[in-house]
Parts: sequence; C-alpha cells; structure tokens
Amino acid sequence: MKIGIMTKLAVWSKGSGDGVHLPEPDRSSPALIRIAGLGKRFSSRSGEIVTALSDVDLNIRDNEFISVVGPSGCGKTTLLRILAGLETASSGTVRSGGELITEPRPDTGVVFQQAVLLPWNTVLANVLLPSQLKGDASAATVARAERLLDFMGLKDFARKYPFELSGGMQQRVSICRALIRDPKVLLMDEPFGALDAMTRESMNMELMRVWSEECKTVVFITHSIPEAVLLGDRVVVMSPRPGRISEVVDVDIDRPRDLKTMGTPRFGELCDRIRTIFGAQAPMVSSL
Amino acid sequence: MSKMTNVIGVHRLQSALLAIVIVAAWEAACKLFDISPLILPPPFAIASRFYLLVASGDIWPHLWATVVEIVSGFVFGVVAGLVIGAMVSLIPVIERLIYPYLVALQTLPKVAIAPLFIIWFGYGLTSKIVITALVCFFPILVSVVAGFHSTDRDQLDMMKAFGATKWQTLVRLRIPSALVLIFAGLEIAAVLAVIGAIVGEFVGAQVGLGYLIVALNFSLDVPGVFAVLIMLSAIGLLMHGAMRFVARRYIFWIGRNDAPVMA
Repeated sequence: MKIGIMTKLAVWSKGSGDGVHLPEPDRSSPALIRIAGLGKRFSSRSGEIVTALSDVDLNIRDNEFISVVGPSGCGKTTLLRILAGLETASSGTVRSGGELITEPRPDTGVVFQQAVLLPWNTVLANVLLPSQLKGDASAATVARAERLLDFMGLKDFARKYPFELSGGMQQRVSICRALIRDPKVLLMDEPFGALDAMTRESMNMELMRVWSEECKTVVFITHSIPEAVLLGDRVVVMSPRPGRISEVVDVDIDRPRDLKTMGTPRFGELCDRIRTIFGAQAPMVSSL
Repeated sequence: MSKMTNVIGVHRLQSALLAIVIVAAWEAACKLFDISPLILPPPFAIASRFYLLVASGDIWPHLWATVVEIVSGFVFGVVAGLVIGAMVSLIPVIERLIYPYLVALQTLPKVAIAPLFIIWFGYGLTSKIVITALVCFFPILVSVVAGFHSTDRDQLDMMKAFGATKWQTLVRLRIPSALVLIFAGLEIAAVLAVIGAIVGEFVGAQVGLGYLIVALNFSLDVPGVFAVLIMLSAIGLLMHGAMRFVARRYIFWIGRNDAPVMA
C-alpha cells in the first residue's frame, strides 16, 4: 500500500462517456493511472487513417488488478503500449502518478505476449537486465533476482539459457524481469496467450500469488473472459473499430481466488455478463 | 547424449565407407576401361604424386605463399567488411551515400578485375591479398548490414520498455543479434578466400598453389594437378571448419540442427 488510506477511497471509472472529465492533473487523486480522452490513430501503408483507440477514459487505483478483455483489433495492445510509453497518444492524456507518460518509465515493468528473453544471456542475466541498464549490479539486486526466481520455482534454472526452458518457464522468467526493479505498475500484454491451457491455469495461480506478495498495480490484457474475471478486480471490456471501452465490470468475488472459483455461480454470471456485452456489439465474437 | 554420439559415429562411418567405395570404383574404372592418365589419373597415381610433392619439399613454398594470401586476404576483407558494414548499418548518412555504390561494385565480377590488380600491385603476394580481401569483403558487408537489420522488433520494444539507451541497445541487443548472420557471412567468405587467392595466382604469379596448378597443367602432369586440388580443398575445409568452430562458441544459442547457418 503505497498511498495508504487513499487507496481505500472510492474510485470511479468512466465507462462510455459519462462521468467527469479531469484534464488537469490532480495530485490528490486516488487514481495511480488516469487515462482521459485517449485516442490513437495510425496511418496504414495505403495511406488511410486507422483509428485504434477512441475516447478511452479510465482511472486505475493503486494496487488494483485491471483486466482488459476484447476481441482482436479492439486496440487493447495499443492501449498497453501507450501505458508502457512505447507509443504516443494521438489525442487525450495518460498520466501515471500525476505525470504524463511520454516515454518508458522506470516505475513500470512490462511483460509481453512472448517472453522476449535475450537468448545469449542466462536466465539470471535476463532477469537482471532492467537493473543493469540502469547501472545497478549490486549484490542486493542479484539477491532479489534470485529470490524472484526462487519464488517462481526457477531456482535451479538461474544459470541455464532460455532455449533450455519451456515456454511457460520462459514467460515466468520474463515476469521476474518485469519485477526486478520493484515497479509500481506491471503491464501484461496477453502474457499467457501462447501457452497451453494447463500451463496457462497454473500461470494464473502463479500470477495471483505474485500479486498478493508484491502488491502491484497490474494492467492485464487478455482475450480470455474467464482469465480476465479470475484475475481482475475490474474487467475493462473493449469493443473494436474504433477501439473503445464498452463497459467496466466490477468483479465482486472475494480473494484469494483459485481454480475452484471458476466453478462458482457468481463467476459464471460475470463471465456471461461480459459475453453479453460482446454479443450486443457483434454476435460473432461472443464465442469466447 | 551417448546415443547422439553413436548416431553421429554411424553416419561418419557410412560417409567413410562411401568414400572408399567411390575411390575403389574410380581405380577399377581406370584399369578396366584403360582411361588415359592424362584425362583421369587413377587415385593411386594421384596419391603417389601427392606423396612425392610433399616428400621432395617442392610443395612447401607454394603452400606457404597461398596460405599467407588466403589468411591475410581473409583477415583484411573481414575487418574492412565489419567496419564498413557497421558504418553503413548504424550511420544513416553513410548508408544513403555509399551503400548504392558498394552494391554496384559488388555486381562487378571480381575475377575480371584481377588482371588490373596485378598491374597495380605487382606479381608478388600483395596483389593476391588484395583480390582475396575484395572477394571476402562483400559477403561480410552484406551479412553485417542484413544482421543489423535482423534485430527482432519485440526485442527492441523490450529494450525500450526497460529504458535502454541507444548505446545499450546496440551493445546488448543489436550486435549479438547480428552475429548470427555475420557468422554465416564468415563461412561463405572463408571458402571464397581460397578461390580469390587461386584466381589471383592464375592471372599472374611466381609462386603459390594456383601457379603450381598452371605449371603442372602445362607439363601435362595431371596427377600433380589433382594432388594440388586435394590440398586446396583441404585448406578450404580447414577454413570453413574453423569458422564453424568459432560460430558454435559464439552463437551457441542457435540450435545445431535447425540453423541454416550451420548447415
């Protein structure tokens, strides 16, 4: 709990247009990340303008786990890339802790769709990379890396190379890498999308364990509705062309959650509700 | 692991057996069809000529000269290719200004310029070293440029997301990524180096294995020509093997079987 009592204050999220616009930074705000009127346009190769995101408003609390779910092409990856400072907004603002996000921030860790580890570095060196880039190679950092790897069940693999690891293990290494500098915010872009269903479930459990231990603000992108509901405090449902937020669903299921949670009636109701939102915008994509 | 070694061992044995069969068939064919040794000498004649060349010591000055040309030409060509390739890849102005000319120059058959180099640099080793260096230069240049362009976009994003500076991205990501293709270029250049040196010697030389081939050919010593050819292919194999050995050490993360580089 970094802002302490403030995190307990009620936080509203702005769905489709309602709510108050706050263009000026409000430092007393309980929200850690404030997205206001965000839009992103790309020009495609043929010269036409593609609107990836339009009028996205969202406030994210400190230590909140936000799942973002939507069909492909709804701009969820673009949203994450803007939060990571890898893309700039075409319109609107994104603030983290009151500061505009214009470039990658040291207090943010990113986990990508693929593990993207450096194949010529050992697992330990890969985890240490973000620290080394900032000139921090202290024994304390190495100890933290080893602790993270241990926590993720990779203790014996610290001196191995990525190609000696399975896909799930590689993604776990990349989560350790994202956590090494103890960031406030963890951005995850469909991190388990490439994994098989069994590995995926155990990774979900693993992630919840990490989150309860490390207390991060997490933005978790996925195209799986059950995954979004299982992990998230709130689920942001996005619709495509142009990418916008259709609805923000509160997940009022107590923690700790586990795989059994997925069998409870409330879980089923929430999943159904999200499916209905998808169904309302395009019947085709409700199959998930 | 021991199973793997076994399989490789069996494969090697099969290759060796095939070689013995071919050599035996060759020897038999020469005897059976009474082929003139001027056209195709039998393996035994080649072997004894090879022994004679080595035992008499006649071969050494030639071998030495050619090896010096190959190795120093290779080193100069590779260094120039690495430096200019890196400049072309990393400095946009140089890429715009120089690269089109380099590509144009590459289309020129290097063999065709060889006589010019003999005029410019004389009959000595220098002209052959220059030709060899030039022949080695282009595959290295191309592989360096392609190597730097081959950096994975996701990896670049990852480095950026964790706040890497341009220099850190270069040292920690772009150079190691480029190594894979650079080693492919080195393997090609290692083999081309032998061709470069021999072509140079064909055009004009007083010593060297290429010169020796021309001289032996002139005196219709066909077994001698074959003996020198064997020596040349041994040099080529050694160069290539050395590059592969180094590649395995430095780009160990490339799978041994699924990499076109190592094939």
